[in-house]
Amino acid sequence: MEYYVAVLSIIGIHMLLGLSVYLVAITGQLSFGQQGFYAIGAYFAGMCTALWGIPLFPAILVGMAAAGVMGFLVGFPCLRVKGLYLGIATLGFGEIVRLVFLNIKYTKMIGGKLVGPNGAEGFRHVSYIYDRGMTQVQYLGIIYAAVLVVAILIFLLERSKLGVKFRAVEEDEMAAAMAGINVTAVKVFAFTMGGFVAGLGGALFVHYSTYIDHEIVALPLAFSSAIYPLLGGLGSVWGPILGAAVLIFLTESLRVLHEFRMIIYGALIILMMTFRPRGLIDEAFLRRLRGLRRRRAAASAAT
Amino acid sequence: MTDLLLDVTQQLINGLMYGAFYAIIGIGFTLFFGVMKKFNLAYGPTIMAGIYLGLIPLYLFKMPMWVVFLTCVAGAIVIGFIVELACFRFIRKGHELAPLITTIGMLILIQETVVTITHALPYEYPNIFGDESLDLGPFLVRPDYLAIFITGVGFVALLYLLVNRTRFGRAMRAVAENPAAAQLLGVSVKRMNMLTFTLSSALGGVSGFLVAMTFGALQPGIAGWMTIKGLVVIVIGGVGSIPGAILAGLLLGVVEFQAMWFLGFTYRDILAFLLLFAFLVLRPSGLMGKPAV
Repeated sequence: MEYYVAVLSIIGIHMLLGLSVYLVAITGQLSFGQQGFYAIGAYFAGMCTALWGIPLFPAILVGMAAAGVMGFLVGFPCLRVKGLYLGIATLGFGEIVRLVFLNIKYTKMIGGKLVGPNGAEGFRHVSYIYDRGMTQVQYLGIIYAAVLVVAILIFLLERSKLGVKFRAVEEDEMAAAMAGINVTAVKVFAFTMGGFVAGLGGALFVHYSTYIDHEIVALPLAFSSAIYPLLGGLGSVWGPILGAAVLIFLTESLRVLHEFRMIIYGALIILMMTFRPRGLIDEAFLRRLRGLRRRRAAASAAT
Repeated sequence: MTDLLLDVTQQLINGLMYGAFYAIIGIGFTLFFGVMKKFNLAYGPTIMAGIYLGLIPLYLFKMPMWVVFLTCVAGAIVIGFIVELACFRFIRKGHELAPLITTIGMLILIQETVVTITHALPYEYPNIFGDESLDLGPFLVRPDYLAIFITGVGFVALLYLLVNRTRFGRAMRAVAENPAAAQLLGVSVKRMNMLTFTLSSALGGVSGFLVAMTFGALQPGIAGWMTIKGLVVIVIGGVGSIPGAILAGLLLGVVEFQAMWFLGFTYRDILAFLLLFAFLVLRPSGLMGKPAV
């Protein structure tokens, strides 16, 4: 039971990472740097509860805000580059964040334990939720409440005027600009929102695991968070959610294979992308789904 | 003051020589991009796998170093073929992002295979050049760095001849310019892709063999490290430009060595990424790239 709760918690947290990549991706920008915002959210929220004695929810908000501000700041230099250039630039950003946290030491003795970001040692004892007697199941509820809220907000965003602008910028920046869309504002907004969501994921993660270090936010996390939406499909908000669920579920169910697990994981990513290059829930699938719904609506109207 | 000058020059020498390795990885990426218009994130793992395959004759059969060298290059070429087959061949046209993900999948696959086989233990790679530095007036030159530099210069000369003076080079440039037109004129694009993979994997194998000796101990993590260095180099140099990759590789080497000497080891990568950012903001087309990306 505990094991399933742990897997579900990680899936939920990684869904948030996937959603943050998705938010940036629907304006046509590729980011390999969302784990940087995740790290910022985790460290700031962790410092709030563990060092400064701030309660959980304001702490998470502080973590999100720090990551969002960073997203805003990163959005500007990244405006000048597109496509894979942007991917590499954001990868560089994520690595800089990681290296900064590798070097930062800011610790205090609290209750006989050394608490705080401690360079390569990582940031231990962020035990706020467990100190207050919260169970993992209760915390799981908080994680999925956050996923639900974010997913609904993105769902609504995509059906709003702003969402149309996002997709217009993705489709053709020049045409979008000619149609009077402020491309700069849209892109920076997407990066800021992406930062918020990734920061939320990080803040939730650090309180779940009580621990974060620079290894956790290194390249593998950068790659997997970009893989979730691309594997799931960029056509709808379901893509990153499904991508994260499928990939982590696969990784976990392969655990019986021990050391061959990650090898097969890599092979599965290659196979899935070969057979569904636009993701599992691709545009064609969505169209068919919509057609089905329309036909059913027509049928029920006829009877 | 003179001490400072000596230090700067010493690190300049080291940086230029080590930078030759970055330049070669950058050239490998540029060749892929020029011919296929795609990035191959599994290039670092290809080189890493080649280096590790070289360990087989060394540890299991106690073979001499030239066999290790040949295995290394041949291994990289074979892995390169596997990457082409698994990550590019069967992806339908018009899916820009799919090969990016398949090569990431391949990166995980190769890296984890090596981790599993070696039980994640670091392996020692013998340095055939010894650790005695050559005296060059007031400066010291590491022979393994010198070997990397000389090999790099040799590669650049060979590539120049290959690209500009041979039928193969002409066909390659034709495919880079316009694959459809090249195909119409009788150049097999598929064959060119294979040859490009062979060429860049071989480049990677040779330089990987040399750079492995400078590490002392090998670990599979170098795969991602080499991919990132290659990506940084092509962005700084301008995507698709071989001269750009050479200049950017040398520049990156110099910046990293100065950073290591004056600021400390962990600043090496921070400075490298800051250099990348500076270029993206101030000159997004890179040193030699065409403007407007």
